[in-house]
Amino acid sequence: MSTETTFENEVFIEDEDYSYLKKDRDKLIKIILFFIASIATIFVFLIIIFLFVIGGPFFTEVSLTEFLLGTNWLPSHGDFGALPIIVDTLLVTFGAIIIALPLGLMTAIFLAELAPPKLRKVLKFTIEILAGIPSIVFGFFGLVVLNIIIRDLFGLHHGNTWLSGSLILAIMALPTIVSVCEDSIRAVPDYYREASYAMGATKWQTIRKVVIPAGMSGITAALVLGIGRALGETMAMMLVIGNCKVFPEPLTNMFSCVAVITSTIGLGLGPTETGSIEWRSYFALGITLFIMTLMVNTIANVILNRIQRKFTGEKVKEKHVNLKESKIYSQVLKYRILLIALIISVFIAIILPDMISKVVGAIICIGLGLTFQMYTIVPKNQKKWILYGVILLFAGWVLSTWIGIFLTVIVIALIIGTRLIFKRISTVGQEKFWFIIVYLCSSFAVIAVGTLLYYIIANGIPVLIRIPGMEDSYRPNFLTASSMEGGILPAITGTIQLTLGSIAFALPLGMCAGIYLSEYARDNKVTKIIRSGIDNLNGTPSIVFALFGVVLFLVVFGLQKSLIAGMLTLGLMILPTIIRTTEEAVKAIPPSFREGSLALGSSKWQGISKIVLPAALPGIVTGAVLGMGRSAGETAPIMFTAVRTTSRYIITLSIFQPVMALTYHLYRLLTEALFSVEEAAGTALTLLLLVLILYGVAFVIRSRYEKRKQW
Amino acid sequence: MVFKSKNKNKLEIEHKNNLNDSNMYQDDTVIECRNLNLWYEESQALMDINMKFKRNEVTAIIGPSGCGKSTLLRCLNRMNDVIEGCRIEGEVLFQGENLYSKNADIRLNRKKIGMIFQKPNPFPMSVYDNITYGPKIHKIIDDKILTEITEKNLRRAVLWDEVRDRLDESAMGLSGGQQQRLCIARALAVEPEILLMDEPTASLDPIATQKIEELILELKKQWTMIIVTHNMQQAARISDYTGFMYLGKLIEFGNTEQIFENPNNQLTENYITGRFG
Repeated sequence: MSTETTFENEVFIEDEDYSYLKKDRDKLIKIILFFIASIATIFVFLIIIFLFVIGGPFFTEVSLTEFLLGTNWLPSHGDFGALPIIVDTLLVTFGAIIIALPLGLMTAIFLAELAPPKLRKVLKFTIEILAGIPSIVFGFFGLVVLNIIIRDLFGLHHGNTWLSGSLILAIMALPTIVSVCEDSIRAVPDYYREASYAMGATKWQTIRKVVIPAGMSGITAALVLGIGRALGETMAMMLVIGNCKVFPEPLTNMFSCVAVITSTIGLGLGPTETGSIEWRSYFALGITLFIMTLMVNTIANVILNRIQRKFTGEKVKEKHVNLKESKIYSQVLKYRILLIALIISVFIAIILPDMISKVVGAIICIGLGLTFQMYTIVPKNQKKWILYGVILLFAGWVLSTWIGIFLTVIVIALIIGTRLIFKRISTVGQEKFWFIIVYLCSSFAVIAVGTLLYYIIANGIPVLIRIPGMEDSYRPNFLTASSMEGGILPAITGTIQLTLGSIAFALPLGMCAGIYLSEYARDNKVTKIIRSGIDNLNGTPSIVFALFGVVLFLVVFGLQKSLIAGMLTLGLMILPTIIRTTEEAVKAIPPSFREGSLALGSSKWQGISKIVLPAALPGIVTGAVLGMGRSAGETAPIMFTAVRTTSRYIITLSIFQPVMALTYHLYRLLTEALFSVEEAAGTALTLLLLVLILYGVAFVIRSRYEKRKQW
Repeated sequence: MVFKSKNKNKLEIEHKNNLNDSNMYQDDTVIECRNLNLWYEESQALMDINMKFKRNEVTAIIGPSGCGKSTLLRCLNRMNDVIEGCRIEGEVLFQGENLYSKNADIRLNRKKIGMIFQKPNPFPMSVYDNITYGPKIHKIIDDKILTEITEKNLRRAVLWDEVRDRLDESAMGLSGGQQQRLCIARALAVEPEILLMDEPTASLDPIATQKIEELILELKKQWTMIIVTHNMQQAARISDYTGFMYLGKLIEFGNTEQIFENPNNQLTENYITGRFG
């Protein structure tokens, strides 16, 4: 009896009133989500539109050929030849990748295949956190350590060189490259390795011939990320490379002072008058940079698709060419790489300034074209010799001075020598040789990043922590004094304000857009365009966001340099990341969860809000905290929109006032004629701690969540 | 050029060796386990296994899940070395020498003892690259020889006619059964003497399974085979000898006919008649 009465008391069994179902808010919520998602998407596309609207009129006054082929960049005199800057950008990026990719890949191999599990865990965690080191900190290290080393080592007048730029970019890109490569190597299923071992292969043979080819898509992705990072880096470049808008002379001189697109914008935009042609020229540079990153992403997508096909075995659709009808056409098609190389080499010969560069450039280009052309025709097993040829060509090119010739001969001797030795030593011996190289590369990578951290910590700690008896040597309370008294408290509060503000703006927008995209958006062309737009903005350099912030907030809304403008610019910068991480996190929840909820008669939104979102929350939070870390570490987007150099107040209360920020404060310290390394190191260490703690928190959340995950 | 001709000789010698194999050993036993014990961390997975595998015969190992049959198979070419926390006592004699002795060459032995896995695992490369992977590992670099090896082994695995026009296409585009035959061809390409098969048809449909079984009967003429299988009918159809394992012990080992029709052990009978497993 008692059980029956309890049943009778249950309202929804007795009560046949299902009217609550009609008060279904599903449609309303969908509309709201759509609305917010549209706003986010519009913002994302506005960046592209504004860039072209502001930069476009520049080309009505200066012709495209003058901009792209002119060799003299002096906006104040009306010279807008950006070619040296573009070439320098490519050279610096190329140098960085040549250094970072082998090092990163070797380190990843060490971590994924050779390191003991405990060491791997620790190193992996450290590396992921290190990916968050703000670029201004790298700039600091490059300026005060690396440049001095390069200057003294090679007996130069100054250390502001292409080489130091490439090196600092390489160190900067290392954590990202290692982390992505390691993930992809570990994602290679064990049964590939087993099959290889079962045929009597050594570990190294397995790694080189099975694991790396199978992990190629991830390695390509790492390469793209590395290039993106190198192309878009602003602050470190402003400090390190010297910013001379000239070609290196000769083109292969790694000790020459260079300028890249980002640093040119960063240094040049500030003093120009808004709306002038000079001002617009920097937007034209921004467009160039944006197109370059777009091209890198597109090429990468094509390559990734090809690799993907290798895994699924899908056939490539052959273009139908009627061979009988167009013999010339088919010949052209067959030798297209060579033809393109010839055209480019003529182009190079025309534009380059001095004779050596002309000849070297043209020969290298034809050589490369010929090599790659051969690569497509020659049978499989001969191909590696062609690859060696390419490497040699590069070696010759990079080092075409007399030292270069000498080094090239050594490289040739080494390659031939090792090949001859390899014929005679056992496979196990070869394995040992390669493992030694892996160990060397990974220790070099660790030492490079370790030195940077050590330098900053060793110099920064005495400033932050007051050692008894040493009180007099520094101003009191570095961390808690206002900037007038020589402290950095206003900068700390400013950075925190900017970070919180940016996430407060980006998180709601980004979350809604992410949920809409993954749960509601139909899989049509519009969605695809939106998604690829967001993806491209994800890899867009921060200086481009800075340009956008200047236009939208300072010009269109007529704001002054202020906290709000900085918050919004930073918010826009992390918006694409937040949208993507939310989308990924929500998508990772198995469809069966939603079905389970729908099968009980819930509405779609109930299912999402009560089941999917709670399960996806840790993923979203991780993304948000990473976004905060990025906000706190960025300098370029706030440089023109939000910062001031000194502040009387500890906290700026009005959002329409400019604030101090740690990153910019550090930059300003470093550009003073006589700066105190200790003060800069103290600021850098504070910034580093702030950002790395955020990154650490994000990864702890993620790893906890992954451990608890039951599905 | 010097290297190429050397390789050619090596290949020819290997080839002759394979043909002469049957005359080289008096005893029929190719591989033998003596008092083999194996532990994963603390739990013992194999207990005192004593087994002899005969030349050019198919030996099947059957038993319920987790009885250690795959573990035993993996002991025979030391694939357990890859697994952490795995400890082995006892001997595995291959051609009279202990695989686990200190001066045994693991890689040479693995080359001689090929292995096929439960899930077809072609590398994500072209068909040609899959087959030539092993020979390249073992220092054959001449294109002509590699092409010959590819054709020869694809024919051995009865796959040639199906893939002859798509050698340059990715192996991942083949069907499951084709992939498994490709894996067999790949294992044969390094000229092994024994083939270990770990449930080679477990992930295939009945028709592909039948093709693999026919292939096994064909390969038996030239190779010694040891097959772990879940499928008792399969063991009965294709094997000459059968071993029944239970909880890490070899319960009974003998002629397939005898095991299936007149088992000596009560456990074997129960398993075969389907009372457990």
